[in-house]
Amino acid sequence: MPEQRVAQPAQDDVLRVENISKRFGPVTALRDVNLRLRKGEVLGLLGDNGAGKSTLIKIISGFQKPDSGRVIVKGEETELRSVDHARSLGIDCVYQDLALVNDLSVYHNLFLKREKRYPGLPFLANRAMRREARQALDQIGVNVPRLDVPVAKLSGGQRQAIAVARTVNSDADIILLDEPLAAMGAKEGAMILDLVARLRAEGRVSIIMIAHNYVHVLQSCDRVNLIQDGEITFDKPTGDTSVEELNEIVVEEYRRARLAAVGPNGGA
Amino acid sequence: MSDVRTGGVPGGSPTAQLPTEAEAEPRAARPGARDMARRFLTMREGSIIVVMLLAALYFTVKTDRFFTHANFVTLLPYFAPFAILAAGEVMLMVAAEIDLSIGSVFLFAPFIFYELNQAGFPLIPCLLLALLASAVVGVINGVFTAVIGVSSFITTLGMLLGLAGLTLIISHAQPVAMPGAEVTTHTVNVERVVNGQTVVLPEKVNEIGTFAKIFGGGTYSQLIWALIIVVGVQVVLTRTRWGIYTIAVGGNKLAAAEAGINVRMTVIRNFIMCSVFAGFVGILEAVRTSSATPDTAGASETMFRAVSAAVIGGTLLIGGQGTAIGALIGALFLGILRDGLTLEGVNADYLDFILGLAILGAMVINVYIGRVRRGSGRA
Repeated sequence: MPEQRVAQPAQDDVLRVENISKRFGPVTALRDVNLRLRKGEVLGLLGDNGAGKSTLIKIISGFQKPDSGRVIVKGEETELRSVDHARSLGIDCVYQDLALVNDLSVYHNLFLKREKRYPGLPFLANRAMRREARQALDQIGVNVPRLDVPVAKLSGGQRQAIAVARTVNSDADIILLDEPLAAMGAKEGAMILDLVARLRAEGRVSIIMIAHNYVHVLQSCDRVNLIQDGEITFDKPTGDTSVEELNEIVVEEYRRARLAAVGPNGGA
Repeated sequence: MSDVRTGGVPGGSPTAQLPTEAEAEPRAARPGARDMARRFLTMREGSIIVVMLLAALYFTVKTDRFFTHANFVTLLPYFAPFAILAAGEVMLMVAAEIDLSIGSVFLFAPFIFYELNQAGFPLIPCLLLALLASAVVGVINGVFTAVIGVSSFITTLGMLLGLAGLTLIISHAQPVAMPGAEVTTHTVNVERVVNGQTVVLPEKVNEIGTFAKIFGGGTYSQLIWALIIVVGVQVVLTRTRWGIYTIAVGGNKLAAAEAGINVRMTVIRNFIMCSVFAGFVGILEAVRTSSATPDTAGASETMFRAVSAAVIGGTLLIGGQGTAIGALIGALFLGILRDGLTLEGVNADYLDFILGLAILGAMVINVYIGRVRRGSGRA
């Protein structure tokens, strides 16, 4: 098997992406991307808009297929056929607004498509679901005062937390968080970071978190990958890097891009 | 003055309530009168119940004949059929669709019933097959909407016209006597006590068959069916997967599909149910009036009354939220208005005009109470 030429201990990786490329017509979205996610790890994925973060996440969650390269899930090379297929392997993505039905209560959202019913009857066991929802939310430290209100009445942070809780609850163990802090106030964001920290401490699930804010990534991730122009250009444990270093890399990229746009003659 | 009052309640109650909600979930621990009132208004049906009671109170005060048993019986056909039609419509509207064709299914089903009966089928199979034909209409509506992707407004508008036309063709535009609704008259001897003496007197009694008594002809038949169906739909909507998935499809179609819900089947199912209810009500009404009439002009009015009852009762046109109980109260409210205005002796020419104004006025009250509701319900 070609895996032997990889030096790292492969057993620890719940997810490995090797030499993934993806083109959309003339645009190269991803170029030979390699990415590893260890068990129980929180990996921060940084990158500008259009750098290829979303394409990578879509490939990992089974929404799009790569042109070339391999995806290895829990030690087995897999061609992810669909979102459902990826989900059956424990990979689930939490999208910002797709996740919840605003008109349904908190616990109905948590149990959507996995509703509990009274044995032998077509009726929903609402009380049992409410109790289990409360336990599940307590377990990961999400504080929602009432479970029987429609989620429309909750704040953005609470909604995001419930979306994450639903994914965790659905037996997913590789969770992709697509900008979980976007459009969120400081307090709300802190709540989500808290939730991520708790999941990290628990170590049951592995998380890839797309983010924009370096401070957040350094604070709540084990490792950080930077994706620039379709390539992963940076991969370090968060302990070995700093906001300054990340900033410098990105500013450097901006300078290079500006130079390329202006031309070698200085724009004359 | 009313500004101050309505302005004060939404502003005041959330602050008063927040600590309680934050502390603990079960609030039933202290049921004060204010809390009861708030809980009542927090119900989606709360505001229409208040408006309906106000209308009933108005007519009770205005005319002696309103609050009588005889008038209650008169009132029944004003609202029971529409409550059933509206219940089916509620499920579709929760799924963010609408069925305009119910008015024509309502006309069409009794003629299918009649033709099958003429062909020699007994009453019950006629009923079942007529309902099956209505279900087929629902399937067609559903497939056009959910599979082909034509908006339900257009699909069912086409069905409303087309099926009304088909009904005219089948019936040759002639009303027919509804089978099973025949009235038989016979004489019975009744014992009476006259001046302390028991005498036996012959008396003429009109009677209808058991089928007719159950399916529309009996005094309370339509009311009982309406209650069964409305409660049934409410249970389906709030206590079953079908209902939850319908809310999910109407509230956030993408999220519903993401979660693995079969969006198409959910929509088609609700179209079928709505259509079957419309066919059933058509037969109930034909039995009650003992004739099936191809009144295509009335088809749209029937449909609009049902849709209005659903909307007035608190079901949103945009999907995701609705209540069958509210639709029943909405239908009752419309029935009370119509019946009350008639009792008051409003000139027939003015009836619709006043009815329209009354509905508008009532809805303003409804919206105000709803605002209080949302204010107090905010978490």
